[in-house]
Amino acid sequence: MGFLHLFIVNKSGGLILHRSLSSAAPQIGTNEWLRIGSTFHSLHAIAAEASPVKLPNNKNSNGAQDGIEQIEGGGVILKCLQTRTGIKFVITAEPGTSDLDTVLREIYVLYSDCALKDPFYELEMPIRCELFTNSVDSLMKRVVAGEVMMR
Amino acid sequence: MTVHAIHIFDRKGKTLFTKRYTSSKQSSTQDAEQLSEQRKLIFGMLFSLRELVGSLTPGNGSPALKSVRTGAGTLHCFETISGLRIAMYTNNNPIMNTIGARAPGADNTKTSFQTALKYIYSDIWVECVVRSPLYRPEDIQVDPVEGKENKSGRFDIKSTNFESKLDAYLASMPWFR
Repeated sequence: MGFLHLFIVNKSGGLILHRSLSSAAPQIGTNEWLRIGSTFHSLHAIAAEASPVKLPNNKNSNGAQDGIEQIEGGGVILKCLQTRTGIKFVITAEPGTSDLDTVLREIYVLYSDCALKDPFYELEMPIRCELFTNSVDSLMKRVVAGEVMMR
Repeated sequence: MTVHAIHIFDRKGKTLFTKRYTSSKQSSTQDAEQLSEQRKLIFGMLFSLRELVGSLTPGNGSPALKSVRTGAGTLHCFETISGLRIAMYTNNNPIMNTIGARAPGADNTKTSFQTALKYIYSDIWVECVVRSPLYRPEDIQVDPVEGKENKSGRFDIKSTNFESKLDAYLASMPWFR
């Protein structure tokens, strides 16, 4: 059990952040990451389109466009949080890891606090912000130590 | 819990079997062509997602794709070694997806949906279709159209008792309705 990767996709499908959260995570090159980000972006939209049932207006309870919320694979579990503005926070973990939703919400908070409030950060551009990186690291440490409360 | 639809694709993406269990509001306006487009979308999505999940899986895990959940429903998927894919759409039900779906005695990674889809393959599909004396793997009537007479002379899955057995099995499941 443990977290593997975190990546953030902007509203037009560009990858703005990718990082591994543990040493168990597979090594993936930057080009491969860009491809994964944009593939995920389109599959997110297709998943809602292909479903025989649809939510009213295609909006979920958060008011964001409906799409992939969770994927279960043989050796990986993927959770996606899409905000109202269309940014997708995606985290992957080994099966059986709990608190994925809480962690995604916390990362969204960190993104608004550390990246969006950085005067040098340009919207939709890759996040190169030391404060955000360090905050995610310390969040992960606290989650592993069991200090983050389940909501 | 409701089962909305079930689709079976061969490894090239042709639809071998399709059935909807719930009629949506648009179903009268949706013609066969639209539904066939939708099935192509589903197969394409499963195909790409399997590759995506495979590249994100750490070394020792199996790269299989089990389920995809959206806000509206969950797609459960089962793929055989020969490339046959069974896709089943159900409602979202958090309890079934986390606790209730664990088959007793099985390890935590196996939900009862995976067990059910595996049963559909090994005990219904293989028994009724593959073992049918008329079965020829490359000569199956594809993209079945409702209420249309099959005059092509190809093997039609509707001529076997696959559909009735599948219905009986699904109806016996606690999550069917």
